[in-house]
Amino acid sequence: MAELSFNTERHVKYYLRCLKTFLPGAYTSNDSNRMLLAFFIISGLDILGALENKTTAEERQVYIDWLYRCQVPTGGFRGFSGTDFGEERRNADNEAWDPANVPATFFALVNLLILGDDLSAVKRRERLQWLPKLQRVDGSFGELLGPGERIEGDRDLRYCCCAAGIRYLLRGKHGKDVEDVKDIDVPKLVSFIEACQAYDGGMAESPFREPHTDTASFQLLSPGSEEFETLVAWLASRQTGEIDSDDEEEEDEEEDEDSGAEGPSLQEDGGSIEQKILSLPNLTPLTPDSIPCAGFNGRCNKVADTCYSFWNGATLMILDRYSVVDDVRNRRYLLEKVQHLVGGFGKAAGDPPDLLHSFFGMVSLAFQGEASLGCVDPALVTTERVTRHLAALPWHEQAPSAEAWKEVHL
Amino acid sequence: MDGQYANDPEWADVTPIPLDDGSNEEVMPLASIAYPPEYIEATSYLRAVMAANEMSERALKLTQDVIALNPAHYTVWIYRAKILFALNKSLEEEMAWLNKVSLKYLKNYQIWHHRQVLMSSREHFPTIPPKELDFLMEMFAQDSKNYHVWTYRHWLVRHFKLWDSPREIEDIDALLKADVRNNSAWSHRYMLRFSPREEDVPDSGLANAGDMSTTPADKGRLAIVDEDMVDAELEYAQKAIVLAPENRSPWWYARGVLRAAGRGLGEWEEFAGRFVEGDAVKSTHAVELLAEVYAEDGEKGQKAVDLLTLLKERYDPIRKNYWDYRIKQIEVDV
Repeated sequence: MAELSFNTERHVKYYLRCLKTFLPGAYTSNDSNRMLLAFFIISGLDILGALENKTTAEERQVYIDWLYRCQVPTGGFRGFSGTDFGEERRNADNEAWDPANVPATFFALVNLLILGDDLSAVKRRERLQWLPKLQRVDGSFGELLGPGERIEGDRDLRYCCCAAGIRYLLRGKHGKDVEDVKDIDVPKLVSFIEACQAYDGGMAESPFREPHTDTASFQLLSPGSEEFETLVAWLASRQTGEIDSDDEEEEDEEEDEDSGAEGPSLQEDGGSIEQKILSLPNLTPLTPDSIPCAGFNGRCNKVADTCYSFWNGATLMILDRYSVVDDVRNRRYLLEKVQHLVGGFGKAAGDPPDLLHSFFGMVSLAFQGEASLGCVDPALVTTERVTRHLAALPWHEQAPSAEAWKEVHL
Repeated sequence: MDGQYANDPEWADVTPIPLDDGSNEEVMPLASIAYPPEYIEATSYLRAVMAANEMSERALKLTQDVIALNPAHYTVWIYRAKILFALNKSLEEEMAWLNKVSLKYLKNYQIWHHRQVLMSSREHFPTIPPKELDFLMEMFAQDSKNYHVWTYRHWLVRHFKLWDSPREIEDIDALLKADVRNNSAWSHRYMLRFSPREEDVPDSGLANAGDMSTTPADKGRLAIVDEDMVDAELEYAQKAIVLAPENRSPWWYARGVLRAAGRGLGEWEEFAGRFVEGDAVKSTHAVELLAEVYAEDGEKGQKAVDLLTLLKERYDPIRKNYWDYRIKQIEVDV
């Protein structure tokens, strides 16, 4: 087998194309997520070590200026310029149609930090006053405030994660200069997050829903506890050799009764359970070569998807349990199955690259120490240069890390 | 601008507000998209009616056009909902339209949130509309693991108190008959059977899970247990396991059931034992469960290690590092 390699040059080209030219029209349905797309682009270039040598200080400054244009007059950031109908027209009746958005505000702040801004033009106090208004009685956070300051958006751990992120970035460890601003209800948030852990150890988007990896990234558990260990077990069992549901040729030795029109079915029929077990075939033992590569899924019994190499990996990084991953098979999956010739990564084998999967595929490799990539902080998902820059802000006295992140949120 | 709206007399009195991405100033937008012209025009008119906070039929139609091009637009849906209520529109008609949109954009979250916003109007929907669950089953026929649809169905159960409605468990049975690996259906089943139902508990998760005073061992444990129902659920899981022994869903469902009932994993030692004979294994999940039962019993630590070694070396090479981690934990305890 030829030596697999991460094609740094192609990936840099891919990100530069996304930075300097228009994204294809297919991204229109992601228009409202431009702040997130911007994060993928500039954080991606930074992790590749290309942000500072492929863009000039002047260019970075005009990007910063655009980010500040997305700050709404009352503080916080919109997700895209599309809702902006002009400050001169803004009034109490229409401002709900151009609101600050929780995930967008988090990513805008991170984007500013990546570009080297010191957040001095961020309406910090206003933002911290806004946050508690987005928290529901059950402790969860919404996406934005709609008409009449109604909390809009689903009860979703990802909003909780972004809200806690905003609090962390803007309040800092001791809330310097904003001591008088009412804080969010941290114990309530913690109890909501705890309630999201499902019967199989995974974390759902909200209580009793099916566990899903996007949301597991938030960590408050202690090693050795049952909750901690079942979450590790759940995350480890997300790694799978099932690469593509359409491709029947893929290795699938242990599951000969794979799904299909004629799959096994829970019909009532005769025979005791004991007899049925007796007649079941033994599994065929596997050799180390049986499954050459293995990515991750986000839910039980789904096929691998590039972004879950990141979501599961980041959570395990935060839990300090990345070592349970089969990093060799994950790398082979990423480089052999989903890395694209033109640079970037697709969602599944053979898919064209897109920004989300390109970024998450690359960060997954960075977690595993891929030679040409910088170290990535699993909580902020930025390079260590950015976490150092954050630590130097006046209201952040100590270096942030996954540990500090946890500490602040406990 | 020359387009559908610019040429429409109904819109003649509206001055569209073009996208201002700062290109006139010295700023450089990030993540600029090559929008199709229809989108550029429709959103320019949307900004104009939003700025005027216009609640009108034409604005309602406009939101449909924007949604068709960008169903993830987060304020257009809230705006649409506000117009619907302001004009006292028929929500049944809105649902019929939503059904079409939902089938077209299977992966969209906002559509389902909008549906929930409308359905939560007690005035319009004092009880669940008769066709609602049929439509959800139509969605599941397209993708039986659609997270948004399951989220919505979960909400419906709580909103209309459908835990014991026969239709719920019938649909779950039908979906599990069609695909015994449908983990979404297993998860919903667990919610129907074991979730707390109190009004004042804001949908807490595993029973008493969010309560800080609960010890980990009591998390998920029900105060009152219907032992017959628990036995029936455990048998249901066993039947599913026999059909597909490598299917993780029913194995973990059963663990959840045992936990809710306050029964130990040891209750399944005999059942799991039937899948393992020396080195011959019929289910890796049975091996894992047995190893856990043995590990809890201090005297059988070595047997647990042997079983996990079997997984590591013969049956589950992807998780070699993970099984090593578990083996080390047992060795420390021993």
